[in-house]
Amino acid sequence: MRRLLLMLLALLALCALALMRGQLALSPLQLWQGLSGAEGPAHLVLAVIRGPRVAAALGTGAALGLSGMLFQTLFRNPLAAPDLMGFTSGAGLAIVLAMTLGLGLPVPLVAALGGLIAAALVLLLAWKPGQALAPLVLVLVGLGVGFLTQAASSFLMTALPPEQAADAQRWLTGSLNARNWGHVALLAAGLAVLGLLALSQIRRLEALDLGEELAAGLGLHPGRARIAIAVTGVLLAALAVSVAGPLPFVALMAGPLGARLLGRTALAPRMAAAALTGAMIVVAADLLARATIPGLSLPAGVVTGLLGAPYLLWRLSREMKKGEL
Amino acid sequence: MRLLLLGAGLVAIMLLAMLAGARGIAPADLAALLGHYDPTDPAQITLLEIRLPRLVAGLIAGAALGVAGMVMQAVTRNPLADPGLLGVNAGAAFSLLLGATLLGRGDAASLSLLTLPGAGLAALAVFSLGGGLAGDAGPVRLTLAGVALNAFLLSLVSLLVLLRRESLDVFRFWVAGSLAEAGQRPLTGLALLALCGIVLALLLAPRLEALSLGGALARGLGTHPGRVLAGALLAVTLCTGAAVAVAGPIAFLGLVVPPLARRIMGTEMRGGLIAAALLGAGLLLLADIAGRLLIPPGEIRAGVMTALLGGPVFLWIARRLRPGEGA
Repeated sequence: MRRLLLMLLALLALCALALMRGQLALSPLQLWQGLSGAEGPAHLVLAVIRGPRVAAALGTGAALGLSGMLFQTLFRNPLAAPDLMGFTSGAGLAIVLAMTLGLGLPVPLVAALGGLIAAALVLLLAWKPGQALAPLVLVLVGLGVGFLTQAASSFLMTALPPEQAADAQRWLTGSLNARNWGHVALLAAGLAVLGLLALSQIRRLEALDLGEELAAGLGLHPGRARIAIAVTGVLLAALAVSVAGPLPFVALMAGPLGARLLGRTALAPRMAAAALTGAMIVVAADLLARATIPGLSLPAGVVTGLLGAPYLLWRLSREMKKGEL
Repeated sequence: MRLLLLGAGLVAIMLLAMLAGARGIAPADLAALLGHYDPTDPAQITLLEIRLPRLVAGLIAGAALGVAGMVMQAVTRNPLADPGLLGVNAGAAFSLLLGATLLGRGDAASLSLLTLPGAGLAALAVFSLGGGLAGDAGPVRLTLAGVALNAFLLSLVSLLVLLRRESLDVFRFWVAGSLAEAGQRPLTGLALLALCGIVLALLLAPRLEALSLGGALARGLGTHPGRVLAGALLAVTLCTGAAVAVAGPIAFLGLVVPPLARRIMGTEMRGGLIAAALLGAGLLLLADIAGRLLIPPGEIRAGVMTALLGGPVFLWIARRLRPGEGA
């Protein structure tokens, strides 16, 4: 518990830093005054620009972290993250498709549909009758579906007028630029519902972890439990994508890093740690993206790509040494 | 015999590539148009100034990528190896962009050579990971490492493009994954570069065949795996570097071509490499033609078309891998 509290404190400190840094730097005192509602430029910056941005980063990261943790536990493989398995790029493709066709559907709905279709496709293609689902085949098929959706996205972007195509490109990189309180409200509502759903799955996940037969002996229908968990995970990832785009590698990193920071094995605290770590990663990535190079605001997705790719390589070499891959 | 048939198919595709497009050319006119030069004839300008360079570029990039894919699959013993998927294309594109940004925009010929160090380093990374030196990587690990390398290099490319305005121009011109700008590339030099790579691969063919049986067995047959690997590395670097300089990063061609070549030519490596060159050139030209015809007057980049084709092929190969087989 104490470590979780420490992580929460670290996250709060990171958020405070993210609120202070930017084109108009604020001192801690100004931050306090701005937050407590004193009128002035600090209040304006916090209320209109940085507040919603940091809050959106927080929510996106938590959703991605939770989603990654659900899939990594479900498939018992640290590589089974929604971003590697093509679910987030499926959600991204759906949004670009809706943009191209000019559909006026709400973005979260479109993203959720795209994510679910991609996930169904991955499961269907990886599944072979009479065989248990091999996690590594799943990851490989997921990568393939990811390649296909990315190709389809670039195909569609050719059909968009140049300005819109540039928008779509920026968007597919993953960015937290110009998020407003509407995005934050969406994230908060979605996280409340889906977070509760995820929490309610913990017992099932723990039962599944004991093995098919034991889980069935506990009165669980393993197939249905798996589908419920996977749908929750996909919806969490789609929620994040509909606000910030498919930020790469966050869902992959959050779970294992959180577990390492936590140093404990019970599932419920590990889920909380994954959400907190995901939030820390995205807030930090966005802070780095806009505050490292003066006068230049990078998309946060570029930073998570630069951080996540070495992590993935390191992870791969470690798994190889342990003989797990 | 089979190679002759493949060659005939390629010639047919080349004819199609000259005739098809936003402005169609009748087959009967082709001989006359290729005959004497008349700079006022718009059809002839279309053919000679636009379509022929494109055709040559497609031949170079397609053949080079087919051969590079074949060599990479033999060395890594992995049916999912491809210069695009494993980051060699991205390495070449990044080093071109970085060099052009730092050194300023020189002439096209010297800029083209900037692809080579990046392609070489990325190919070295791939080979040291899955090249039989440090044990087999297995398709999942190798592909994921490629994903990581690609993501890292592409993030660096975005960073560079956002940092320096002039890199955006270089990026648009060089890194599009398209044959459309082919007329402005130093095609003769790049064709020579690609040819060097292809000839080197052909010379190495028997030893690559031995190597694909496994390092220990190859050594038993009197092959020095280290030397063969170094040669293969050079061949992949030359081929990929030339292809990226001609057309930008085009993915999946090196994935799709080798299984076809193996199906046609069996396990024999030298014939397989020639078939891969012919098939790669034909497929890339077909992708380019399809991209020109699909949404006139606009066009879809050839790299996008190969990716659309390559995704399903990747899935098909991935599904056939058994988890036990070193996955």
